Amino acid sequence: MAAKGTPATYSPSPTTFKKTKPRLLTDTDWVRPDGRDFHQCRPAFLRTGAVNAASGSAYAEFGNTKVIVSIYGPRESKKAMMYSDIGRLNCDVTYTTFATPVRGQGSENKEISAQLHKSLEGAIMLDSFPKTTVDVFALVLESGGCDLPVVISCASLALADAGIMMYDLVTAVSVSCLGKSLVIDPVSEEENYQDGSLMITCLPSRNEVTQLTMTGEWSTPKIHEAMELCLDACSKLGKIMRSCLKESASTSQE
Amino acid sequence: MVGSVNDLSSEMEVEAFRRLFPLRFHEQHLSKSVRPDARLLSKARDTSLALGAVASADGSALVKIGCTTMLAAIKMEVMTPTTEAPDEGCIAIDFHMPPICSPIVRPGRPAEAAPVISKQLSDTILSSGMIDLKELSLVSGKAAWMAYLDIYCLDADGALFDAALFAAAAAFSHLQIPVVSLNDDGRIVVVSNQSEGQKLKNKPVNEEKRKLKLRSIPFALTCIIHKDYILADPTAEEESIMETLITTVLDSSCQLVSLYKPGGPALAFESVVQDCIALSRQRVKELQTILNEAISDMEVD
Repeated sequence: MAAKGTPATYSPSPTTFKKTKPRLLTDTDWVRPDGRDFHQCRPAFLRTGAVNAASGSAYAEFGNTKVIVSIYGPRESKKAMMYSDIGRLNCDVTYTTFATPVRGQGSENKEISAQLHKSLEGAIMLDSFPKTTVDVFALVLESGGCDLPVVISCASLALADAGIMMYDLVTAVSVSCLGKSLVIDPVSEEENYQDGSLMITCLPSRNEVTQLTMTGEWSTPKIHEAMELCLDACSKLGKIMRSCLKESASTSQE
Repeated sequence: MVGSVNDLSSEMEVEAFRRLFPLRFHEQHLSKSVRPDARLLSKARDTSLALGAVASADGSALVKIGCTTMLAAIKMEVMTPTTEAPDEGCIAIDFHMPPICSPIVRPGRPAEAAPVISKQLSDTILSSGMIDLKELSLVSGKAAWMAYLDIYCLDADGALFDAALFAAAAAFSHLQIPVVSLNDDGRIVVVSNQSEGQKLKNKPVNEEKRKLKLRSIPFALTCIIHKDYILADPTAEEESIMETLITTVLDSSCQLVSLYKPGGPALAFESVVQDCIALSRQRVKELQTILNEAISDMEVD
């Protein structure tokens, strides 16, 4: 394998050099790539207990976005860490090399790891595991849009599966602004030509927001509308996650 | 000392005994020809295979052997072949153990086993003659396929090499090579369905080469050697307690492709090696059936 990595290769697929053409965004009568309504989320498939070696784990599939999260711990913190009265949360998100259409492009995961950490830490009772660390590791198997919200929701499900005490489940949903329209739970193609994006992570039963990120061009009425959409979807996702946990608890009892 | 341990075992809870005296726990099972998960010594764990698990790849497979889970996917890219072999493509194989798969792997501290298995996999796949690299050629001297095969361990519970090799072979049998043509700039581009009618001047270069012909697929079985016992398809717990492993790789016609015995405290006699090969021969039949069933299921769909 002397040749490994040395020859320059390129992907023959046309997406590599043809820029996505923006549609007539002023119109409202275009159809989403997967045929959904603007305010319709992708069907969510959630399962706990995906990884046997972990303390807790979950698998989430929203359309083509597929994510596995494993929880390890609470376990001994790294030796170099200072004494701490409260527990630590350590988050890491990685992409597989085949997650993106062009091989090995899922690179900006340091930022995603930090965002995952920030959206979870407010929901976890860190004082319930002093001096120790809980590791949250995520692997994006396939990236199909909305990767971060799916990782966050999946991580909170995995934390619940691991029996880590939380104030509530954390659910995350994002909305893209495309011209005049708002589309919820966008796929990669829509994310590529969006004008703005808004993501809310919240604790649905407590009605609290742990993180809100907004990028791009927004008008005040649009922000209100997008937030309403996200919060509504978050509470619905919360119900799905809750029923998933109940299901796994009832099967394990039998 | 041995007596006191024996006395303890009658009073102690099973789980506590398992953690405190793992070797004795396993040996007591072995003496009764059964393993803690109720398997016979020579029996491999239940194995399942799903083809086409990754939509963004050209070929993919998900393999589960017991709890050990492997996801393999192939992405095809184009390269300029070397001058020594103008008619040959290339295969780059990489094995990953992300932090999700095992408590011993942490970010920034990768598993020692990963590069070892990665090397074993590429040695085995390239030397088994499963794939003729000439089939990956597109335009002689100008363009050839580079097949990037990445195997991810999603759950590590022993016999990682066996599962990874099976996933790799399954991903290659699922591989659908895209139809491509040479455009005016000398680049290879995918022929998309819509543009087929208008772009007839750039004829597809590989219309009839959509699938690779796989000759003699290699299959592996790892066994633990402990005293007089041979344990097929060990779990992570067994591997951590009894450290001598023998991995035999046979191809579909049961010819020996490779044999690894990476050290370990127990020495293997010739008869032991032959027993391992006999077990492996059984396993080849099982795996071959699973692979054939998955392929025929896919063709029906």
